[in-house]
Amino acid sequence: MNLLEPTRRAFELLLQGDPRLLEAIWLSFWTSVVAIALITPPSIALGFLLAKRQFPGQRAVVVLVQALLSFPTVVIGLLIYLLVSRRGPLGFMELLFTPGAIIAGYMVIAFPILVVFTIAAVQGADPRIYETARCLGASRWQGSVTTLWEVRFGIGAAVVNGFGRVVSEVGCAIMIGGNIEGLTRNIPTAIALETSKGDFSQGIALGMVLMAVALGVNVVLAMLQGKGGLR
Amino acid sequence: MSVLVELGGVRKSFGARMLFDIAHLGIEEGRSYVLTGPNGSGKTTLLRMLAGLEPGEGSFRFRDSLVRFAPHYPERLQRMIAYVHQHPYLFHTSLRHNMEYGLKCRGVATKERRRRAEEAIAWAGLAERQVTPPESLSGGEKQRAALARVRALQPDLILLDEPTSNLDKEGRAQTLALLAQLRDERRTVIVACHDQEIISLAGIGRFHLDDGRMQ
Ligand SMILES: Nc1ncnc2c1ncn2[C@@H]1O[C@H](COP(=O)(O)OP(=O)(O)O)[C@@H](O)[C@H]1O
Ligand SMILES: [Mg+2]
Repeated sequence: MNLLEPTRRAFELLLQGDPRLLEAIWLSFWTSVVAIALITPPSIALGFLLAKRQFPGQRAVVVLVQALLSFPTVVIGLLIYLLVSRRGPLGFMELLFTPGAIIAGYMVIAFPILVVFTIAAVQGADPRIYETARCLGASRWQGSVTTLWEVRFGIGAAVVNGFGRVVSEVGCAIMIGGNIEGLTRNIPTAIALETSKGDFSQGIALGMVLMAVALGVNVVLAMLQGKGGLR
Repeated sequence: MSVLVELGGVRKSFGARMLFDIAHLGIEEGRSYVLTGPNGSGKTTLLRMLAGLEPGEGSFRFRDSLVRFAPHYPERLQRMIAYVHQHPYLFHTSLRHNMEYGLKCRGVATKERRRRAEEAIAWAGLAERQVTPPESLSGGEKQRAALARVRALQPDLILLDEPTSNLDKEGRAQTLALLAQLRDERRTVIVACHDQEIISLAGIGRFHLDDGRMQ
């Protein structure tokens, strides 16, 4: 197989801003951002509670969240498919094969990552933070917010990690997005489809974009970890 | 002079091990005290109990009310009694934000907050250090910042845990000067320490905790 030609084509597509390419990139990007934005606040709240408060069933919840972490995304896709398909309990929302379904899947995938990272960040927080806040007159709520703010780099790492995971995710997106061109075809599904059709240049171009995203995500993570190290 | 805090029958134990059993301790309003005692005698633990950070048995009188220790410690007292850690924690924001934090919690208006924060920074002698991230300040600077941060809130009782330990000569001298000022301002302060210089500050009361008893 000649790899040189499709690689050259891939660069051409990228440089020319091929509309099909840009569409897939844009869809991946905005659905990931929306999903992360929606799921981050509840995940941080739950992560904080699990790290700070003792309540019955707490251990069970943590184990459940950790299990969710290693769930194959294609199974998450399947579950959401069953939920939102015509005859599913959420069928009336007509989400199947829409960006909305992809966002829902991304939220489920990002949720355990965000929660687990938040637990780690909060448990690693200096206990003096909360005590200092309280001694200066903060309410319990204010003390908690201050604690989260002091570990903001750890929380930021959680968010970046979650984004990195969903933006390159393929199993769930294929199951519930359906890879409809111009509507639900995002980067990973386009790679899978175009490659199976024998068009390697699209796949290579999108692959390069994904690798650039992965690189960017890891650079940001390293920067955040450097900052967190100042604690 | 009126009594601000009075302890009677206050005990602390870890499991079967009794750390201390304090029969009586009185703190007068407007006076500074040192709390001395060997390492592990429970100085830190006692200060933390008074600040609501540590559970304990018994209760103490604060002005006219009877106060129980955590977790029954009243929310109201949290703002009247301020504890400063041996190694104070400064929020990783800015020096000014640190000074404003407690004022913000008390709903002090922005302008007034700014003014009092400036004043606190000047009091600590840190006006030139405002651009430095608080976490990068030296141990002595952190200690002074923490003292100023608490003083700006004008709490009824200030509890300081070994404020001069781990400081170099200069840092100790500067902290000592601030402690003398708190004494002159007639704040009510309890300082846990070993530092002979603090102990011999004029006009300071002294308690000694040893072998589980207050002397
Ligand atoms: N959570 C705990 N469990 C068991 N022992 C503890 C705990 N916290 C403190 N202690 C013990 O209580 C004693 C008093 O500690 P501390 O109040 O720090 O003394 P000091 O400040 O006078 O040096 C120490 O011997 C310490 O080991
Ligand atoms: Mg101590």
